[in-house]
Amino acid sequence: MVNRSEIIIEAKDLAYQYTGEEEASSPALSGVNISVHRGEYIALIGPNGSGKTTLLKLFNALLVPTNGEVRVEGISTFDEENILSIRRHCGMIFQNPDNQLVATTVEEDIAFGLENLTLPSAEIQKRVGQVSSVLGLQDLLQQAPHMLSGGEKQRVAIAGVLAMQPGCILMDEPTAMLDPAGRNDVLQTVQHLNSEQGLAVVHVTHFPEEAVMADRVVVLEDGRLVAQGSPKEILGNTSLLHGLGLQSTAAVELASLLRQDGFDLPEGIITNRELVNSICSLEQTD
Amino acid sequence: MFIGTDRLTHTYMPGTPYAKKALDNVSFEIKQGGFALVIGRSGSGKSTLIQHLNGLLKPTSGRVFFDGHDLGQKGSELLKIRRKIGLVFQMPEELFFSETIFDEIAFAPRNLGLEETEVQTRVIEALEEVGMEAEQFIDRHPFQLSAGQKRMVALAAVLSLRPEVLILDEPTAGLDHSGQKILFKLLASLNKKKNMTFIICTHHLDQVAALADQVLVLQEGRLVMDGFPQKIFGRRSQLIEMGLSPPVTAEIMADLAERGLDVRSDIFNLEDARAEINRLRRHRVK
Amino acid sequence: MSRSITLGQYYPGKSLIHRLNPRAKILSLVMVLILLFSLHTYEALLAQLAVALLLIWNTRVPFRYFLRGLRPILYIALFAIIIYFFFTSGGVVLLRIGFITVESHGVQQGIFIILRLITLVLFSLLLTLTTTPLALTHGIGYFLKPLRYVGLPTEEIAMIMAIALRFIPTLMEESQRLMRAQVSRGADFETGSIFRRAKSLVPLIVPLFVSAFRRADDLALAMEARGYRVGAVRTRMYEDTIMPLDWTVLLVVIAMVAVAWILGL
Repeated sequence: MVNRSEIIIEAKDLAYQYTGEEEASSPALSGVNISVHRGEYIALIGPNGSGKTTLLKLFNALLVPTNGEVRVEGISTFDEENILSIRRHCGMIFQNPDNQLVATTVEEDIAFGLENLTLPSAEIQKRVGQVSSVLGLQDLLQQAPHMLSGGEKQRVAIAGVLAMQPGCILMDEPTAMLDPAGRNDVLQTVQHLNSEQGLAVVHVTHFPEEAVMADRVVVLEDGRLVAQGSPKEILGNTSLLHGLGLQSTAAVELASLLRQDGFDLPEGIITNRELVNSICSLEQTD
Repeated sequence: MFIGTDRLTHTYMPGTPYAKKALDNVSFEIKQGGFALVIGRSGSGKSTLIQHLNGLLKPTSGRVFFDGHDLGQKGSELLKIRRKIGLVFQMPEELFFSETIFDEIAFAPRNLGLEETEVQTRVIEALEEVGMEAEQFIDRHPFQLSAGQKRMVALAAVLSLRPEVLILDEPTAGLDHSGQKILFKLLASLNKKKNMTFIICTHHLDQVAALADQVLVLQEGRLVMDGFPQKIFGRRSQLIEMGLSPPVTAEIMADLAERGLDVRSDIFNLEDARAEINRLRRHRVK
Repeated sequence: MSRSITLGQYYPGKSLIHRLNPRAKILSLVMVLILLFSLHTYEALLAQLAVALLLIWNTRVPFRYFLRGLRPILYIALFAIIIYFFFTSGGVVLLRIGFITVESHGVQQGIFIILRLITLVLFSLLLTLTTTPLALTHGIGYFLKPLRYVGLPTEEIAMIMAIALRFIPTLMEESQRLMRAQVSRGADFETGSIFRRAKSLVPLIVPLFVSAFRRADDLALAMEARGYRVGAVRTRMYEDTIMPLDWTVLLVVIAMVAVAWILGL
């Protein structure tokens, strides 16, 4: 369905420096080279202040590089005339569900981006209808935002982005302020969009369990890209993660502790099931 | 009972078409020095419940008790009670309004009408209690701190009341892994050393479950479970049906138990899991 | 909890008045208000009141909402009664209490003023009870458009008003939460002198402002991320259509005003 070798976002030698703030002494990002492919699900992890949010903002031209270049669907983010296109191709979801809903009803909020794109009314209404059924929001269209749960609010935000028909969705810790049910809601929704609709995803997260479902995990530290690989490779690398002050999944951590105790567990365990299976087969052979 | 409720019911906006029963006939008690967890989905009544425990809300019916007093009785002097029951809301650093950390922490004892010398003693004591050197911090502006430090100051701001009971709503929201560890270590030590009673509402059970001796589960305003952690977290399928999840480590242990391994059921953190699996092996090898 | 607060007082319905374009309603209200303040006979006033009551009946909005809307003017009405009944002279003396007299002219004028006030409020309520706050905002925004030529950014002002409307319930909930949290730290917002109570509001106002600024920052970023640009052209999901019904109503109102003027009412 989607040509996974095509690149939608490309960053070359990317650097960004904040100006006029105390943090100007160290660049927020430097020397980052990264490509996002069509349909790819990337988890972006790293300690606080490593530049994850900055990187996302450089992808949709909320910030422009102080060095290097970012291209989205071939368009450079320096190209001011085409910023609207770039933001259409790359939608963004933020951490605080409330502070990204602009309109007084769900329906109007989903339409917000389309109104900015100056689409005709009929087209806007059509897309809002389509997107709200994909995301299960049909019954909430007339609701006011403050009446929604956190998970519902995030789904509305996703709908608003989806309606713009992007190739990629950027998410900045979208589940951080949600309860487990809301988290689940959002994660399942995004996974569905990625697998069924081929939407590329760049997902900044602090939860290692959320990185398990990615195609690729990218690790930032101090503004630099320090590692990338499959979830098994990165999440399984406890020394890397611990060195950055991060934790891996419970399964990885426990497996690592047990290996230290002499348990001969195979490498590459990252899920509970894999851990339980391995422990049980060890117990059997003992 | 030390602190608890008797058939507590709370209806918001009774008598209007918007009436909502947030708590329905809730009865429980927590002993002095206890460490209780309150879990439940958003909207299950957790916030409403904890606001009753320090007298912020008045029951529609039923009673709330503290140290032998019925909080609802006239003349029960809520201010005196608030001296003894500290309530820390979610993201407590959002309450900051003072220019110095000293003033921020002094707010509560000053509200109690204490002498300034006593206030000063308490501020310094509270800061040291949360592991922050008084001299270094008292004159600084609260907004200048890191997230973890702000959280500690916010905690100190309630500890300066010298409460006997501390109720916390999602105390780890917004903290990274090490911040969470530091926080729970502090709470555990206060619980042990000062026999402070703790009541914690949280979804993030992994680091706190091992500290608790009682778990209360709310669903749609009703108290559906009340007991020891191993009993409650052992009811996996029920919890999952309610949209809740037991601590991850407990799940791993339960999976192992299902596969026939003779593991204990009161394991909630990684170190205990590690020890238990090691114990199994030694046991087998014998 | 304030989750249920419906903004303004909009009461949903499908009546004729509900379906009118907000702009037509606003214009009509303005004309009716002008008329109200220019007529000076009882007959004309009572006719206006009758029209108002007729329209109210048409909207099918329960009358108690209108009564509730009249409550604020009770004080003004009381004030008017005192001034006009007891302190205005002329005409026949109706009552004498000590050195205070109640005279017929005063009573007449008083009743007239009060009736006019009631009619005014009823017509205004007809607007606010049948039009959503957002539709009202757009309607007012439309009439402010000419101010563009004097340099006023009317589109942006309309956007600001709409966003403010969206956040009112959210901010109200937040201030309630803040209040409870500070009360848990022993704060007291209720006792003491006015000065003391004002000072006690600082722990409420500062955090609210800090959070409001943060919200504004976040929201601006989110809006930009979805392609919003200040000053750019935007389309709308639901165009404001003007139906023949709107023109008809407007003409009727104009006719009413004209007739009243001609008749010298």
